[in-house]
Amino acid sequence: MNDHYILKKDHLNSLLRRLMKEYRLVAPTKNPHGDTLFSIIDSIEQAHIDLASQPQGSIKPFLFPQQEVLFDYEHSATIDYHFEHTPDSIPTAFFGVRSCDLSAVLYMDVIFSQKKRDPYYFEKRNEAIIISLACNEPFANCFCNATKTGPFLEYGFDLQLTDLNDRFMVETGRAKGCEIVKRFQHFFEPVEERDSKAQYQAFLEARSHFKQQVHVEQAIKRLAREPIPEEIWESLSLRCQDCGGCAYLCPTCTCFTITDLATSASSGRRIRSWDACTFSGFTRMAGGHNPINSRTHSIKQRFLHKLKYDVQEHGRPSCVGCGRCVGICFGGVDIIRFINKACGQN
Amino acid sequence: MKGNNENIYLPYPARIVRIVEENNQIKTFSLTFTDPLRNESFEYSPGQFMMVSIPNYGEAPISIASSPSRPGSLEVSVRKAGALTTAMHAMNEGEILALRGPYGKPFPMKSLEGRDLLFVAGGIGLAPLRSVINFCLDKKKDFGSITLLYGSRSPEDVAFQSDIKCWQEEESMECLLTVDTTGPGWLGNIGVVTTLLGRITPNFARTSALVCGPSLMIRFVLAELSRMGFSDENIITTLERHMKCGVGICRHCYMDNTLVCVDGPVFSLAQLRIMQDTELC
Amino acid sequence: MTNSINEIAQAQVILVSGSNTTEAHPQVARRMFDAIDRGAKLIVIDPRRTRLAEHAHIHLAIRPGSDIPLLNAMMRIILDENLADDLFIEMRTENYHALRDMLYQLDLDETAEITGVPLAKISAAAQLYARAQKAVVCYCLGVTQHICGTNNVQSIANLAMLTGHVEKEFTGVDPLRGQNNVQGACDMGALPGHFPSYQPVNTAEYRTKFEQAWGTELSGTPGLSLMEMTHSGPQGAIRGMLIMGENPMLSDPNLKKVEATLKNLDLLVVSDIFLTETAALADVVFPAASFAEKTGTFTNSERRVQMVRQVIPPLGSCRSDGEIIMALSQVMGYDMRYESMAEVMEEIALLAPIYGGMFHDRIEGCWGLQWPCWNRDHAGTSFLHKYYFTRGRGHFVPATHEAAAELPDADFPFILNTGRVYHQYHTGTMTRQSSSLNREASEALLEVNPQDAARLGLRTGDWVELSSRRGSATVKAHITEQVAKGSVYTSFHFPAVAINLLTSDARDPKAQCPEYKVSAVRLEKINP
Repeated sequence: MNDHYILKKDHLNSLLRRLMKEYRLVAPTKNPHGDTLFSIIDSIEQAHIDLASQPQGSIKPFLFPQQEVLFDYEHSATIDYHFEHTPDSIPTAFFGVRSCDLSAVLYMDVIFSQKKRDPYYFEKRNEAIIISLACNEPFANCFCNATKTGPFLEYGFDLQLTDLNDRFMVETGRAKGCEIVKRFQHFFEPVEERDSKAQYQAFLEARSHFKQQVHVEQAIKRLAREPIPEEIWESLSLRCQDCGGCAYLCPTCTCFTITDLATSASSGRRIRSWDACTFSGFTRMAGGHNPINSRTHSIKQRFLHKLKYDVQEHGRPSCVGCGRCVGICFGGVDIIRFINKACGQN
Repeated sequence: MKGNNENIYLPYPARIVRIVEENNQIKTFSLTFTDPLRNESFEYSPGQFMMVSIPNYGEAPISIASSPSRPGSLEVSVRKAGALTTAMHAMNEGEILALRGPYGKPFPMKSLEGRDLLFVAGGIGLAPLRSVINFCLDKKKDFGSITLLYGSRSPEDVAFQSDIKCWQEEESMECLLTVDTTGPGWLGNIGVVTTLLGRITPNFARTSALVCGPSLMIRFVLAELSRMGFSDENIITTLERHMKCGVGICRHCYMDNTLVCVDGPVFSLAQLRIMQDTELC
Repeated sequence: MTNSINEIAQAQVILVSGSNTTEAHPQVARRMFDAIDRGAKLIVIDPRRTRLAEHAHIHLAIRPGSDIPLLNAMMRIILDENLADDLFIEMRTENYHALRDMLYQLDLDETAEITGVPLAKISAAAQLYARAQKAVVCYCLGVTQHICGTNNVQSIANLAMLTGHVEKEFTGVDPLRGQNNVQGACDMGALPGHFPSYQPVNTAEYRTKFEQAWGTELSGTPGLSLMEMTHSGPQGAIRGMLIMGENPMLSDPNLKKVEATLKNLDLLVVSDIFLTETAALADVVFPAASFAEKTGTFTNSERRVQMVRQVIPPLGSCRSDGEIIMALSQVMGYDMRYESMAEVMEEIALLAPIYGGMFHDRIEGCWGLQWPCWNRDHAGTSFLHKYYFTRGRGHFVPATHEAAAELPDADFPFILNTGRVYHQYHTGTMTRQSSSLNREASEALLEVNPQDAARLGLRTGDWVELSSRRGSATVKAHITEQVAKGSVYTSFHFPAVAINLLTSDARDPKAQCPEYKVSAVRLEKINP
């Protein structure tokens, strides 16, 4: 059972400042050009923490960076190759993470441990505290209600905050969240009945505020039952312009590639970078043969992986309903369009 | 090995002990880890692959061509195709490259025991089957008769000639070779490898077929074996894919809902038939 | 563009000519898709079956270089069907009779024959375009890179004016710019005969204005065009050159001539962010700062001036282009000093009327402003020619067919067309540094029609020796229906296949733009 507390908004900055003494703080901030992005906060005064807009990216890059060095290597006539990696991650508190993005982290936890444990992911993940923010007001393309990854969560967070106007309802989830409440006890007040009522009201209202009607469950059922007509794949793939934006922005897309970056003839670094299954080079082998040759296949993999294969393997889809791919796609080859088409709508 | 805390991406240096030029496109490299302890603890099964890398040239999956029944050196056969394999071909004995593995599901050697084995290979595709063949020859009493059908483009392209010579001397083994286009001195069969299938009369109930080669060849051979009367469970192939992690995370080797690196590379035709999108059947 | 990019999404008919929009301008293609989703009709004029052509309701696959006959045929059909906008012609245009007389002399069947497109299809496209309330024409280098490029553009203007498809929102003529700041470079007078804001150098009034501002004497004679500079040959009049952010050793046609010119200069100075093929020939190379290391503005296709902001200080000894120019001119005896790029912008606002109201403080923190923007209070202009054309009345300039400079013959039986691929940018100076982009497109592929391929015994992946009268290159074949029989197509991004060794340097006499889109070539299968 989660514990509930009240944190007055007046004291939020003070609490964050306390956290910053022990953790690197990452929160959604609005930059001078109007974009809201998760960034490292150096100063509470100077950063414009923005809890009103949907961050353009998720916290994926902090746990699974767009590019990270797996190891450096060097050899000479006298020294053989030596491959080593020393973890050096910083304890980080993520503040203001939306339910969808937190659900995506829970998915990554599985992906990076299920088959083999990925040391690079977990050296960062183990140092992370996630303070999530339930969504009272879904954004334009949100449909986390349909993927069951929001707007409020019941588990997975260290702490979950619900905005109740002048105060936050604070719920403890995992052990690290309980510890924070214990350590900074004086910030947290007991919950009164009106707070619980207000939270329940916020929950009800949020559910009715979704602008998108996306029938994820129906699509999952259909995909499990029968193949999607080839014309649907064709019409979508004809529009895919192969930019990879959907995968880069998607909080659950974790495909990557590994390349060597030479720094000299005898030294360099092996680097892991984000990749996208929609790229034709993703499956092309040395020598040029591509076993996934047809244009429709890469689109198929993207959507079926999220809505069919992951359901088979993990019991739930790996789309968290954040809607970011809807905003980024050049051609409208986004998951909402696919789901609508799969459900027989246009 | 260190178990759960091991960094799966860190390779181990290995020395090239010997290089055999199989043809002008294929070389076989015998390798040993520079760390003797690792050599001792290293175990694998026929059908598994290694992630082989040369720093600055990247990393690629390469199937193991040697048999665990012949310990001492690990062999990989490499066809010159991309940047890494070209760099490997330029290396000399004594030089160092990097290895991690073994990865992937091996051939089901236990369930093949007691059965006749039909190997159908094309070009470099003989490499993973060579591991199985030598394994079976070393444990002759566990397996029935062995037949190899091997196709090459031309007489000069016939690889693994010293192996084939040994195999031809084995009593329990029959080797039939074919080339797509003939050349001087060639007395064997001419035509694609499926033409050899007409020259054998396997006992379908007792025989398993193991197939490896270019995907187009695999496709035709699987279809032909199936038509001849082999059941889908007894037709087994091993696939080559672009891979980056080798351990089921990066997803480059996806095939429908499977990942070739962990769910394969060995698949039976029965497994392949369930998939919607493969170029193989 | 007379319109804004977003307006395309609201058009009812979109006519795209000579533009591989999905690969070269994906953000524009996105608006076209939006329009199609809203029910708009798409007409694509392109010799190739591009990705966009697959979306088209009508694809007019013309023979390369037959744009004028096609447009003339469309206009004649519009007249015959009584679909011309007589009121617009009367109120806003001049010289209509010349166009009408020329059109009435056309033999429609003969004209259609030149284009290789059935007359019925041309007629359907003409009627679709003319009947629309809101129609835009988007065109790109497939229209301009011909010896008759200027006439091609004028014919498009004729078509738009004939149907009154100009003066409104969601309606207009939209050239898609080939690079992010080509528009800005032209606006700033990187043209042989103009000061910034298109003020001719040979008009005394303008010249005096700039002489006063800069405190120096200026020439009233237009300078040379790019082609006149890079193709002047070993004994050319120009003896020294400063090349900034341009790679003519890969991008210009007939590269052998370019090489002969550049190698025989007394001094070649190149400023670039990477050591390009051109920089490799230079006596002096200035390492330039990248977009992330400098502050300034870029002007895009829709005339929108946007800020570029410095994120990191220049690496190593790099300097921004502005600093390089200032330092050079100081050494050369002209004390050019600007405190900041904001000060440069203030001077632009003072001297270039279309940028009159553009100051850094106005374009910061927003999506910028579109010119013309006459003064500080002006909100910028989303679409042009609202009440009148810039020159007053729109002038019809009738044009007639002019065959490409080099047509296929027995020795060189194929037409070579060149263009870009999605994952590489121009000469690849920047994009070829990315392993991801290189993995997607690492080499040039020569697109060959299956019928031609069958005749030549070519399969995808085979190597081909491609030659023209000027040079040759070895390139991998890619067999595809995208190109028509008798034509081949490839990109110019890769130095390994320097396709501009082959291309023709014949050029449009008015704009001096080379005919990259038509060169006669020969194909031979080889075993490398």
